[in-house]
Amino acid sequence: MRSAARIARRHFLGDTSLGIGGAALAALLGQENALAANEPIVGSPATGSSPSSQRGSLAGLPHFAPRAKHVIYLFQNGAPTHVDLFDYKPKLSEMHGKPVPEEYFAGKRFSTMTGSPQGKVMLAPVEPFAQRGASGAWVSDFLPHTAAIADELCFIKSLHSDAVNHAPAISLLLSGAQIPGRPTLGAWLSYGLGTESESLPAFVVMTSVSKGTTCGQIFYDFYWGSGFLPSRFQGVKFRGSSDPVLYLRNPEGINSEIRRGQLDDLARLNALKLAESGDPEISTRIAQYEMAFRMQASVPELTDLRQESAETLDLYGPQVREPGTFAYHCLMARRLIERGVRSVQVMHAGWDQHNSLTTELYTQCKDTDQPSAALVLDLKRRGLLQDTLVIWGGEFGRTPFIQGNLNERARWGRDHHPYAFTAWLAGGGVRPGISYGESDDLGMNVARDPVHVHDLQATILYLMGVDHERLTFKFQGRQFRLTDVHGQVVQPILA
Amino acid sequence: MLQRRLMVGLALLAVLSSGRFAAAAEEGGSELRFARDVQPILSEFCFQCHGPDAKAREGNLRLDRAEDALRRDDPVIVPGNAAGSALIERVVSQDDERRMPPPSSKRRPTPAQIETLRRWIDQGARWGGHWAFEPIGVSGTPVVNDSRLARHPLDHYLIARLEQHGSRMADPASGSAWLRRVALDLTGLPPEYELLVDFQQPELPDAGERAADRLLASPAYGERMVWEWLDAARYADSNGYQGDAERTMWPWRDWAIGAFNRDLPFDQFSIWQLAGDLLPESTHEQKLATGFCRNHMINGEGGRIAAENRVDYVMDMTETAGTVWLGLTLNCCRCHDHKFDPLSQREYYQLAAFFNNQPVDGGGGDPQTRPVLEAASPEQLRQRDELDGRLTAARQALDKFEQQRFPREDGQTAADSAAAAELPAEIREILKNAGSQRNRGQLEKLEKQFAADNTHTALLQAIRSAGEARDAVSRSIPRVMIMEELPDPRENFILYKGLYDKPAEKVGIRVPEQLARYDAEWPSNRLGLARWLFAAEQPLTARVIVNRFWSQLFGAGIVKTTEDFGVQGDRPEHPELLDRLAHDFRTDWDVKRLMRALVLSGAYRQSSRATPELLERDPENRMLARGPRGRMPSWMLRDQALAVSGLLTRRMGGPPVRPYQPNGIWEEATFGNKRYEQDHGESLYRRSAYTFWRRIIAPSVFFDSGSRQTCTVKQARTNTPLHALLTLNDTTYVEAARALAWSTSDLHDPRERLRQLFLRTLIRDPRPEEIDILLAARDRLARQFSAEPASADALLAVGEFKNGPVADPIGATSWIALCNTILNLDEVLCKE
Repeated sequence: MRSAARIARRHFLGDTSLGIGGAALAALLGQENALAANEPIVGSPATGSSPSSQRGSLAGLPHFAPRAKHVIYLFQNGAPTHVDLFDYKPKLSEMHGKPVPEEYFAGKRFSTMTGSPQGKVMLAPVEPFAQRGASGAWVSDFLPHTAAIADELCFIKSLHSDAVNHAPAISLLLSGAQIPGRPTLGAWLSYGLGTESESLPAFVVMTSVSKGTTCGQIFYDFYWGSGFLPSRFQGVKFRGSSDPVLYLRNPEGINSEIRRGQLDDLARLNALKLAESGDPEISTRIAQYEMAFRMQASVPELTDLRQESAETLDLYGPQVREPGTFAYHCLMARRLIERGVRSVQVMHAGWDQHNSLTTELYTQCKDTDQPSAALVLDLKRRGLLQDTLVIWGGEFGRTPFIQGNLNERARWGRDHHPYAFTAWLAGGGVRPGISYGESDDLGMNVARDPVHVHDLQATILYLMGVDHERLTFKFQGRQFRLTDVHGQVVQPILA
Repeated sequence: MLQRRLMVGLALLAVLSSGRFAAAAEEGGSELRFARDVQPILSEFCFQCHGPDAKAREGNLRLDRAEDALRRDDPVIVPGNAAGSALIERVVSQDDERRMPPPSSKRRPTPAQIETLRRWIDQGARWGGHWAFEPIGVSGTPVVNDSRLARHPLDHYLIARLEQHGSRMADPASGSAWLRRVALDLTGLPPEYELLVDFQQPELPDAGERAADRLLASPAYGERMVWEWLDAARYADSNGYQGDAERTMWPWRDWAIGAFNRDLPFDQFSIWQLAGDLLPESTHEQKLATGFCRNHMINGEGGRIAAENRVDYVMDMTETAGTVWLGLTLNCCRCHDHKFDPLSQREYYQLAAFFNNQPVDGGGGDPQTRPVLEAASPEQLRQRDELDGRLTAARQALDKFEQQRFPREDGQTAADSAAAAELPAEIREILKNAGSQRNRGQLEKLEKQFAADNTHTALLQAIRSAGEARDAVSRSIPRVMIMEELPDPRENFILYKGLYDKPAEKVGIRVPEQLARYDAEWPSNRLGLARWLFAAEQPLTARVIVNRFWSQLFGAGIVKTTEDFGVQGDRPEHPELLDRLAHDFRTDWDVKRLMRALVLSGAYRQSSRATPELLERDPENRMLARGPRGRMPSWMLRDQALAVSGLLTRRMGGPPVRPYQPNGIWEEATFGNKRYEQDHGESLYRRSAYTFWRRIIAPSVFFDSGSRQTCTVKQARTNTPLHALLTLNDTTYVEAARALAWSTSDLHDPRERLRQLFLRTLIRDPRPEEIDILLAARDRLARQFSAEPASADALLAVGEFKNGPVADPIGATSWIALCNTILNLDEVLCKE
């Protein structure tokens, strides 16, 4: 191999000496005048410190004293059935098998799988409900661990959304718009508030799915995209594996000091390029190389679960020992925010029970119930819950009427339902042990204190110390924000 | 080749002379079409205050929907009467209080645009349908004020638009920057030295044209162009799902590379892949091409119902074709009518019917589920013929021997011979058949029976060994899954919610004819479907394909949603340009001609430098006031690293290879069922297109590729710390740094050596400040390595590349680390 390479190189050299290389190339190159980058990005690469805007917050932020510094979104992808889990409606049982009263759905749009609810029949909750804890919150037997911590939780039972299909609804909830391409919550928070972690990304995403689910939902990367914000604010997705980040180790022979020097060189050279070409992606690249360096030290420590006691591991349930599961990700979420990560988005798919309320829903709950509750308990006993906002919920709810045949219990299902659904919040400045808002007596529509997904976004930002109307980014002549032109902070749930 | 190039040249000349463009413009010039001509004007000047956004709406007027814009009460547009339409009156008004858009908006339609509105209303103000379903139209090449930077008529469309916005194209990139850009885009590799030399011959004109032609003629062109096609075709070397058994579809992959290289016209390229088996007197190659349809996943899980699998496969074939050629996402129609696009569930199943009438039964997880085609190499065919001959000879020899050993009357078998009378009944039973009819078990029994008779045993053994050798060769011949048509058509049904066992209404085999008419001459099968996709009036195929090739070069399509031309997809940024390109492309479907025109255009030649003003005005560069710039796809990064370091092997085709990959990745994903056995030697250095693709866990080095589970036509471009870790630390890249350093190790002047490294990687000289940084770095590295000599030895041993004797390990290692740095420069990682 060497001889071929050498011959090629000799040609290179030989002809260069005839003047074809340097001089001719130099003539072809031209364009030396540097232009300034459009934003100050590079901190001081020579010392290897991280670029300032990655760590720092925007001027004037937070807008007011934050109630929470971190947010963990336990995103239940596919839409959990509110009427089987949290939103207890005795009348549903009374009307089991009876047609949907028209006044409940008139003028509403449903998924085309349902078409019109005309003639559909109501379906009682699959499992019994009970009031839990001192607060008396209703939680069904599907979720015994969640039930046990009801007094820590704030249930919002009057959420509603505009979209009836998964991807647009998830996009709406996480980015404020149904069409992909806007920055997501975690990206906005990184952009506005920076990060407390020098050694881990500000926004980390982990995804999982219950084993054996028939749900084919895909985790699109716009669920954690940065839209038109600089791309360094996009979520960094960890692999669902014991090696969440590959290629962490330096090559044999390159120690950390040598690598540090290489990265300093790279930053200097890339900064020259940035000045010349003006491409803001270069500043992102410089920042990402620095973050890569710091992750080399931080990730092995992050994923070393030997530091966790057996008691803690047991709290999260047996699956916590299996990398890539929801339980494992819940524990990782705690470890990430302990290390200063601003936003953790744990996404779990498989909640799309069109025909599996009596089958797969059990698995789905089993995989998520204990770890979700454990995370809240674990944060609390470590004193982290007061600074951490935990949100549990999906993109919409499910129809209180049946999808499928009432006589075929094994295939009972519920269709998409954006007109009323439930999520819970915990920690970070939220009043524990309350339920806010109500749906009507069939769980069909919001009856009291509606909370649109934009209101939820405004509230999350508020808890993080951000005025949702003032965290904006100008793009194509318009100021954009997470809540678009909507959003009201839900004051009554604030502690 | 010369002839080919001449043809390309002539074709381009025809385009450049713009006779064809001019003629086409006249044809399309008279009749206005709403989606193409009118809607963009309304959208640009009116929708901001009179569009879908209720909050922003002024004066309770909407102009984005026919029912509002053409309202009878207080009409704004009076069809057939522009003079009497308030819209025109307001637009041309001299009264600042009345004029629309209001003077404060600083936006004015041009006189030509106002004339368009006027004519459209006079012609009846026909509201059109969705733009992509309208016929492809051709407008006249726009007139521009300054055409100095135009190199091709296509540039006029962009320049005209930029001029409207008070902007202009950027000056051309330097010649070497363009050469690197075009070489990477057309071959996936940096320009080779010879190309650079030729490019710089001052006495020869048309350096760009010559370079483009050489790149298009390089075999590397097909290896580059195939990548997006493999993503679209969901090509992989295993089945997917549990088990994930290996398959041998790679002869199809090699066919696709070859087809790009000989520039098989895109209509033929497509028709063969959809229906090559149905062409009259179809050839081996045309049948092989249909492997495209069979690249779907195969579910071999125990307990799966074959009929359900079969339906999955048919749907996958349908949806893949829908996305690849029509740019439509059809999968929603499995269960319900499409929410946004005018395609019904019925039409989905009628379309799926084209792919339903084939024999794949969905059974088992055999990666060679029939029908299959043997794709033997000439050597394999020769061996098999030879062994067939040996087998026949051995059988004849045995028959002859047994004739003597068991004498009998004519018409009797050996079993009837008196000499066989004492033999066990089982043996006599076997002897009833001639030697050529006996299977392996029978032969073994006879060998045992006649063990004492050396001659007889030897003859029996000869048959057995020839047979086994022939079977071994047969087994080594790759079998490619292909398409066949069933003689007795299956019935087709709408499947309730897409469930295989819930057939509802019966449907026929039919295309959605609102897109284009189905010629009665065409058969009702895949061949007819393929012809329909390439019919003269088909509005989608040419647009969709041109847009994808465009996005390959410019980083984004003219329609940004390359995968969705439906109502939910983005509108084209430059609709007239897209139509012009589509119109031109479908005159001959010549991909090389298209690519050549694009890379030689003024738009493509622009410098990619961005000013703060440009970034503010057009951060995504949709208007193309600068050249494309962006990180290369991960596969191209790998190929570039192999090429610049001299490691790359140019051998083409053949079974997939297993280059470096961190330990345990397959094992963890498959619970230990699949072990990654890394290859050695040349196989480590093949082009990325030949890397083994395990469907359930893609090669980790390709961090941004499609999943190859279902059709993907849009590439993600991300920028995360994870990429940095890979290109800094992966053995592939560290070894490339090592080989790159070694190949320049006899240059003793460090400045000269740096210069060579820059020429190799960036096709330019280093600048003084770069040299300063790198020379200081080299001294620092040398100090660091001398403090830890063991480190130097370790770095010298990364990867399997063998260099010669190293006199100065510390010096050598510093250069390796320096090359590791250079290979991670933003400029090296980017096409710009």
